[in-house]
Amino acid sequence: MKTTLLSGALALLLPVISLAGEYDLTVDRVEIDTGDFVKEGIGYNGASPGPVLRFKEGEDVTINVTNNLDEMTSIHWHGLILPFNQDGVPGISFAGIQPGETFTYKFPITQAGTYWFHSHSGFQEPDGAYGAIVIEPEGREPFRYNREYVVQLTDKHPHSGDRIMRNLKMMPDYYNREQQTVGEFFSDVSENGLMNTVKDRMAWGGMRMMKADVEDLQGFTGLINGKGPDQNWTGIFKPGERIRLRFINSSAMTYFDIRIPGLEMTVVQADGNNVQPVSVDEFRIGVAETYDVIVRPRDDKAYTIFAESMGRSGYARATLAPEEGMEGSVPELRESARLTMADMGGMHGMDHGSMEGMDHSQMAGMDHSAMKDMDHSNMEDMDHSNMEGMDHSQMAGMDHSAMKGMDHSNMEGMDHSNMAAGGASDPFYAPGSGLVPTAANGGKFLSYADLKAQSPLYEDREPTRDIELRLTGNMERYTWSINGVKYEDADPIRLQYGERVRFKFVNETMMTHPMHLHGMWSMLDVGAGQWNPVKHTISVQPGTTVFMETEVDEPGQWAFHCHLSYHAAAGMFRKVIVEGGPESTKAAVSAQTTGVGGDA
Amino acid sequence: MSVSKFVVAAIAMSVSMTALGAGSHGSGHGHGAKSGEPAKFPEGGRTITVEMHDNYYEPEAFDVKKGEIVRFMVENKGSLVHEFNIGTPAMHEAHQDEMMMMVEHGVIQGGKLNHKMMEMDMGNGKTMKHDDPNSVLLEPGESKEIVWKFTDKGDIEFACNVPGHYQAGMYGDVNFN
Repeated sequence: MKTTLLSGALALLLPVISLAGEYDLTVDRVEIDTGDFVKEGIGYNGASPGPVLRFKEGEDVTINVTNNLDEMTSIHWHGLILPFNQDGVPGISFAGIQPGETFTYKFPITQAGTYWFHSHSGFQEPDGAYGAIVIEPEGREPFRYNREYVVQLTDKHPHSGDRIMRNLKMMPDYYNREQQTVGEFFSDVSENGLMNTVKDRMAWGGMRMMKADVEDLQGFTGLINGKGPDQNWTGIFKPGERIRLRFINSSAMTYFDIRIPGLEMTVVQADGNNVQPVSVDEFRIGVAETYDVIVRPRDDKAYTIFAESMGRSGYARATLAPEEGMEGSVPELRESARLTMADMGGMHGMDHGSMEGMDHSQMAGMDHSAMKDMDHSNMEDMDHSNMEGMDHSQMAGMDHSAMKGMDHSNMEGMDHSNMAAGGASDPFYAPGSGLVPTAANGGKFLSYADLKAQSPLYEDREPTRDIELRLTGNMERYTWSINGVKYEDADPIRLQYGERVRFKFVNETMMTHPMHLHGMWSMLDVGAGQWNPVKHTISVQPGTTVFMETEVDEPGQWAFHCHLSYHAAAGMFRKVIVEGGPESTKAAVSAQTTGVGGDA
Repeated sequence: MSVSKFVVAAIAMSVSMTALGAGSHGSGHGHGAKSGEPAKFPEGGRTITVEMHDNYYEPEAFDVKKGEIVRFMVENKGSLVHEFNIGTPAMHEAHQDEMMMMVEHGVIQGGKLNHKMMEMDMGNGKTMKHDDPNSVLLEPGESKEIVWKFTDKGDIEFACNVPGHYQAGMYGDVNFN
């Protein structure tokens, strides 16, 4: 009798104790006005970006998603740890949400921090289908602030995602305004003389010139919280207040370098997980990453949040000010970064080990993807400083071992600043990389190496298995792949429940790839052991090898892909199947995975 | 002396020089403001327990009277190294540069202090010891006490100057009443 009473009382109490929230989202055609152009797109609850969803750790959420489009849709909760059938990837987690249908997501919130959500169907995300998620922790935060703002970035393009993909497939450099033109050939001729120019280009074969691919999608307008640079989103503060800024990069393709001239930013969270605070002047945010920073503006004036794209082809801008309408000055875009030979160092079988005195700092946009077994070990004193956009894709088995003391004395603009010996360095960029960012004010630029977990999420242990994933691609055909195989031709990656897997990313392309594993955490190896930061998206720079470890603790099947929209769609994507796991979940997994279709 | 040895020695010298500067903060210099002075704990004096967590204090403020001598029992309940330092905002700012150097040279490593490195004789009789009377630097689980006399009213904060911690909000106010 006593126990019955007790459990009865508990049953009455439980609904009160457990938090539960219900949320409604509609997926709608919306108009997006960037200030530069107006464009039809996709949004949530009638706007793009959608609303900021505010959850509480420990809450059980119910989210009703109604599809008002005339095509299928889906919502993926980026970075949230949840049952795989709630993860929102058509063809992997569920069948998608048909036009007119309302799909109800239900999952517990087991974490805190800044995250985001977006469509995982077609190019709806670049077309505007994204929003922010803010989860309040159960306990107190390990830092203090007086107010907070979501600062959500995107790279809004006047073309629809479908059209961009078609154009890239047709002509991979379609959106690359920096590419070398016939005009540049003639300007080189006037500078260097016809014979030298022709000779230089002839010497290297094919000569279909293509330049920097730091960014392969240019021509966008950077938006912050849906506002273009002229529309100037503004966050209000009182001088002396501490402000938490929740930066989210929801871009399709664009990395941003972010600074607030006049303010130091203390990074306290990355990808939703607290990190040991580190104060910086500037940081680079990869596609799909989030960084939370704390700033403390003490003066009664406006501060500009300035986010330059990594390739310097565009920017987003917003303002922190004591009053609406105040503006700070907007800096000029800095010069574009240029890929160096180092950024191509990851490519197949090339041995540049003994090359000396070379300067390739002006070379950019080269595709060496088909080069094999080259031995340049005896080359010395070469200077190719004006070579650009070369295509070496047909070279194979070359032996240059007897070349020596080459003199291209009419070439100009020697610049060794990007070589390993000098300039900026960051262990997460190839030595001598042209992409290493530096702070505009000469101060501290955040590196992955600075990120340390505030408190370890898992006990540190040896990985039980290594998996190597080579990030591969062929720019000529705009195919992107993993281990040379694109998604539709690839077998799933099979993991065993309970494993700790060490993934080795080897970037053999010239582009940076933000790799995103759904459903389980990615612990980035920065050499800090148990303090390695816990992330959901990991940027792998050209010519580098990066390791991450994952505790395989979620059964089911998950997506794993490059988060650049057009790279994922081109095939840099895998399905991950977690085999085994608790008996109760196994049944649910097999029930769910039969009859899954869709458009992933 | 090899070049690398020379560099280490040079760095060590610059650390100990600035550390010396920090040591003299207690008795005040340059800023025209001071935070008080070390004292002997009087019978019947007041004791305040301060817990250090990752990365905040409990309590986050306390009241003192001008001239009062307080004993602080400081305990690090977090999993990272933390400091309890009584000073003006300017003193904390100056000390943060020194602490940054200690991190860069491996003296502070997340949850550990490299005592060997701190004690090491740098060749000129100086060390990277963190032994200013106005502060304690504690590993997780460690406790220490400071007896401090608040000689004058002023803009005084207690703060952790491990890089990033102050900026994240690990400081509190000393209120005079």
